[in-house]
Amino acid sequence: MGVDISQILHPRKISLSALSGKAVAIDAFNSLYQFLSIIRLPDGTPLRNRDGEVTSHLSGLFYRCINFIEAGMKPVFVFDGEPPALKEETIRQRSEARTEAEQAWKDALAAGEIRQAWTKATRASRLTGMMIEDSKRLLKYMGVPSVQAPSEGEAQAAYMVEAGQADAAASQDFDSMLFGCPRLIRNLAISGKRRIPKTNRFTQVEPEEILLSDLLGSLEITREQLVDMGIMIGTDYNPGIRGIGPKKAHKIIKKYGSIDAAVGERAIDPVESLEELRTIFLEPSVSMHEEFSWKDIDRGAVISFMCDRNGFSVDRIASTLDRVSKREQAAGLSTLDKWCQN
Amino acid sequence: MFQARTKADTLKELIAIVSTLVDEAKFSISSEKITLRAVDPAHVAMLDVQLKKDAFEEYKADEVDLGVDVAKIDQFLRLARAGDIVDLAHDEDKRRLNVIVGNTTKRMSLIDTTGMTEPKVPNLNLPAKVSLNIEDIMQGIRASESVSDHVALVATPEYFELICEGDTDQVQLKLAKDQLVELEAKEKARSLFPLEYFSNIMKSVPSGTKLTFSLGVDYPVKIEFSIAGENGEVKYFLAPRIESGD
Repeated sequence: MGVDISQILHPRKISLSALSGKAVAIDAFNSLYQFLSIIRLPDGTPLRNRDGEVTSHLSGLFYRCINFIEAGMKPVFVFDGEPPALKEETIRQRSEARTEAEQAWKDALAAGEIRQAWTKATRASRLTGMMIEDSKRLLKYMGVPSVQAPSEGEAQAAYMVEAGQADAAASQDFDSMLFGCPRLIRNLAISGKRRIPKTNRFTQVEPEEILLSDLLGSLEITREQLVDMGIMIGTDYNPGIRGIGPKKAHKIIKKYGSIDAAVGERAIDPVESLEELRTIFLEPSVSMHEEFSWKDIDRGAVISFMCDRNGFSVDRIASTLDRVSKREQAAGLSTLDKWCQN
Repeated sequence: MFQARTKADTLKELIAIVSTLVDEAKFSISSEKITLRAVDPAHVAMLDVQLKKDAFEEYKADEVDLGVDVAKIDQFLRLARAGDIVDLAHDEDKRRLNVIVGNTTKRMSLIDTTGMTEPKVPNLNLPAKVSLNIEDIMQGIRASESVSDHVALVATPEYFELICEGDTDQVQLKLAKDQLVELEAKEKARSLFPLEYFSNIMKSVPSGTKLTFSLGVDYPVKIEFSIAGENGEVKYFLAPRIESGD
């Protein structure tokens, strides 16, 4: 998903504890899809409560927030609003791919191919309105703020970092850079492990930090030129120009300066809706007056919501919450953390 | 896949060590060894354990992470007598770990490991090293328990010392260089530690074990020893208490 410019990035590895005390704006949909995708039983069935409603996203959100809070981080989740009209095609394709994956999952299950089923199931995740509402409720009980973006969550998160409301944005997508996010954190995952796409194996991943100024500096381009590069490579809003990847796009921008100039020299074909695309990234629709703050965990509300309503084990939820409060109690005691930031 | 057979004592030792710091733990299993890294909820102490496949009488495994309720397995292993054999088998479909002692099987459901973090091992430069037998220090620790809630470990070129200062009483255990297995210290190293943690850690060390402390000045201590006849390595890290002003 999103523009793929990973080849030309040189991220810097950081540790979770380096984010202690920092406000991090997290792409909520991006996270929830990750949870729905990977938190599954071995045959691909998601976690469910006794009414049969999927609860994988709640499990993921709960543990991730706990880990963030434990690390001293201040997370704020940013939810997507209405997608730009140009995203329709991408949304339709994704929906189709999910329907296909769902069928393939059922087929694999029927055939008894468990591993295949898991792989297919991870690609069939759907995020419903109720899941979003439940996620926001859980966040509220955990004292973690959420912000509703008018349009793209990543654009809102990028704005929040630019405006100094947050220290960094966290997402797996690179689109944040195109939206002008000064500081992006990737791989802010739960366990330091991430599934290798389309397999059942995991790879060790560490959080990494990408600075927009470093990226533009190393490529020797402006943000406007970065957006043009993204448009040539392809984004969630346009398919890109066939045969152009990050390296080629960079060459074209360095040689001609912009898409218009390159088209004028007949180096590339014209791009449909070019101005509209640029506007999505350069003047995104964001809300400038969001106010949010972090509160204490409402222990009773979390337990009642997670356990009574959604069937998670009281022992596990309570003991995980204890982890945070013990951590706070021990605040006076010296911990190993400052020696672990290698 | 994971299937192993071992002496009950080996497993009991391992579980005793793990349960000093955590109730739930993620065992990372590979074809060669079992490893575990865990930090206690307050982040004061960390554990890094490796148990090689040679510690087992039989061992067959692919790479898998098992989330285990340590208290549950500890409880069941208490039923095993010295010299008993324990079989372990991972039931992937039912997501359970089956533990067999004699004719009894306990099928324990595994814990989801998604929420379990893998702590980083601290990066430490510890100049002093002291090796001694566990029996030579336990007395001093037990004597300290009624005196204060923290204890100082001191290493000098000539001796190793454990000092516990209470409001009115003091406990001192001093071992000269020739009473130690090994002593390496160019200058004096001294750090203060929470006694409850230190004592629990030391009680998890099997009797007859030689252990090594690596110490600095107001620095964490690294405590290392072997289990399962040199087939297992245990490392604990314990954060110091920084002494106030005086």
